[in-house]
Amino acid sequence: MTLKKTLAAALLAASVLSAPAHAAGALTISSPQDPGNWDPIDTFLVNWASVATNIFDGLTYRGPDLELVPGLATEWEELDEGTRIRFTLREGVTFHNGEPFNAEAVRYTFERLLGEEGASGPQQSNYTAIEEVEVIDDYTVDFHLSEPDPVLLTKLAGYGAMIVPPQYIEENGEDHFDMNPVGTGPFKFVSYQERESIELEAFEDHWDGAPELDTVTYRFITEPSTAVAELQAGRVDIVIPPTIPVGMISTIEEQEDLSIVSVASPTVQALRFNTANGITENEDVRKAIIMAIDRQAIIDTILQGEAEPITSFQGPLSFGNDPEMEPIPYDPEAAKALLQEAGVEPGATVQIDVRGNDATFGEVAQAVAAYLSVIGINATVQPYETNVLLNDIIPEGRTGEMFQQAWGGWTFDFDNTAYLMYHTGERWNPYDSDAELDALLEEQRSITDRAERERLLKEIARYTADRALEVPLYNVNALYGVNDRVQNFEAAPDSRLRLTDVTVEE
Amino acid sequence: MPDAAPSRPGQAKTARRQSSFKALEFILGVILVGGIGLAVLFSGFLFPGGGSAVDLAARLTPPLVDMAHPLGTDPLGRDVLARVIVGGEISLTVGLVSVAGAVVIGVVMGLVSGYYRGFWDVVVMRFADVQLALPFILLAITFIAIVGGGLINTIVLLIVSQWVQYARLVRGSVLSLRDREFIQSARAIGVRDIKILFQHLLPNLLGPVIVLMTLNVANNILLEASLTFLGLGVDPTIPSWGGMLAEGRTYLQTAWWVSVFPGLAILLTVLGLNLLGDWLRDTLDPTGRTRV
Repeated sequence: MTLKKTLAAALLAASVLSAPAHAAGALTISSPQDPGNWDPIDTFLVNWASVATNIFDGLTYRGPDLELVPGLATEWEELDEGTRIRFTLREGVTFHNGEPFNAEAVRYTFERLLGEEGASGPQQSNYTAIEEVEVIDDYTVDFHLSEPDPVLLTKLAGYGAMIVPPQYIEENGEDHFDMNPVGTGPFKFVSYQERESIELEAFEDHWDGAPELDTVTYRFITEPSTAVAELQAGRVDIVIPPTIPVGMISTIEEQEDLSIVSVASPTVQALRFNTANGITENEDVRKAIIMAIDRQAIIDTILQGEAEPITSFQGPLSFGNDPEMEPIPYDPEAAKALLQEAGVEPGATVQIDVRGNDATFGEVAQAVAAYLSVIGINATVQPYETNVLLNDIIPEGRTGEMFQQAWGGWTFDFDNTAYLMYHTGERWNPYDSDAELDALLEEQRSITDRAERERLLKEIARYTADRALEVPLYNVNALYGVNDRVQNFEAAPDSRLRLTDVTVEE
Repeated sequence: MPDAAPSRPGQAKTARRQSSFKALEFILGVILVGGIGLAVLFSGFLFPGGGSAVDLAARLTPPLVDMAHPLGTDPLGRDVLARVIVGGEISLTVGLVSVAGAVVIGVVMGLVSGYYRGFWDVVVMRFADVQLALPFILLAITFIAIVGGGLINTIVLLIVSQWVQYARLVRGSVLSLRDREFIQSARAIGVRDIKILFQHLLPNLLGPVIVLMTLNVANNILLEASLTFLGLGVDPTIPSWGGMLAEGRTYLQTAWWVSVFPGLAILLTVLGLNLLGDWLRDTLDPTGRTRV
């Protein structure tokens, strides 16, 4: 009996020793969302990109510094006044399955994206400027554009423009590719359990050199407190955004071997106005509401400084942001006077629609309600299930006087926000129609001259601020919780993680 | 059990112990429910501001640090004590009104279908079956997605989802009562149906209904809490126990007081109501024939 026990204990000890919690070079990441499909043309989820940026490459590449550099194309040239772009492709690149990368793969990728298969996904509409991809020789392609697209080169660095293997897809079918992605990236796909995890391993033959890590496992953990508990227990090494609520920062920082890495993100939060109904129909009332809210105080307390104030519906990193623009100042007295002039009686009501599952914003909305009560407006907060708010309430124009809108395009270009938010008839613009604004928005779309386009985007930002179309609240930081054993980790503002240089300590 | 003859003194002792436990149940239940009820009833007088005064500079003050906030403050700097007591208003209103509504509808439906049987009975009971087959959360999310959240809608949802229990309970009792002599004789001498239903049948089945009510009030406070927790319940600017719990969740490890005190309030209220319900069941139905 005793012998048996000792033996068992020894075996147990041995097995514990031989199998430490982390194998050498293994990294575990907690991600809040399982995209459920790994095909680049079937998704628009940020958390798809935080995995798939390691599996796929684009013709161009944009890393954490947001600089556009060569990817699978070594150089490119704009011809015919921006309506033709010639790419020279990298030679000697292979896909994970051994298939060679060449001009044919590029043509296949974009024909697929712009054809029938792409039409069933959300990515196609971002690339409609591409009319045709012409193969010049094995390593040269020409993109023919219907009109110049100033953001195209950036868009080629991510999402729908990821280069896919033609032979593999043709042989195995689309459904197989959805669940078993193959690309040219630094990590190759190993296995995927729905709503559970996806595992990748190093691709030794990557054109930019093999990654340091042996394997990377992403676990899908939706609940923030669970993800943070796993981080504290050492069972995950990195918790990626958008998971960690600001309120949990100190929980993580209190533990010695964990740190918070925060980086500016594209995500901006605004309370947009219903300009068609209620007291917010009046521009002066909207301005009074903006003046009544001490946005800096909200950032300093509720957001614990993990956000930047904004003056229009974009962050400081966005192309088209004007650092010269002055925010409407916090001035409750002037707000009261403005309300009185507009003929709004004390006790007027305003309803603020928010996403029910966003704890931090729930606090912000309540603070806003408290600020509004100071100038005599009774604000109620109406939480909705996120999908209901986004698919039903906002697009159909059934919101209260104010509603939460969180937005952030990974391209960091104001066009992505402004056109969808302000152009007449767009899904996210249920209330307003302004011919002058429409003209500005359309004009900037076809200009490739960067300076001129930036000027126009700034003008749009000013115009919308003058009309007080929303309360610009803040640009939140992306928060990563990281175990100190992770080295060389550079947090990406757009959550598109590329883990080539990351190492882990034992 | 060995089949030795039970000794009389031992039995008496158990009975005495049981009855003193019953008394204790009653006293504790009254103290808890009464105390919380009174505090909530006079909350407007105790905290005229309703605990809604925001002070961002004083956010997350721990308990007993600042005597203006004996139980500390929440992430917006609002007084936790005031909010727990004022928040009881929503929780108790939801609990009591929803049960009252469910009882009225359920009892009338149950009486009518049990007494008249036939077509009406089939319709009501099949409808009840269908509804019982739907999980509550599914019903709640669908309902709120269609008509929206808010206090009134939450109460309506709870009524809609719970009248079935009363209807079934009452119908069962009516079925066993309607052929008894006193009902038969009442019908024989020509008493009108409405009088039979409400004067002869109703008093005889009120016991189990009251017991089910006390259990359901507690249950509905918890359901309101979980709906608000999911962001589907009442306006978060109005304090409620469930809402406070949800808001405190992210601060559980750094500011426990935000969620522990409203949790405690729910715990004590539910405990008090359950104790009263137990006592009421033992008192109204000492033989324990009722199955709830």
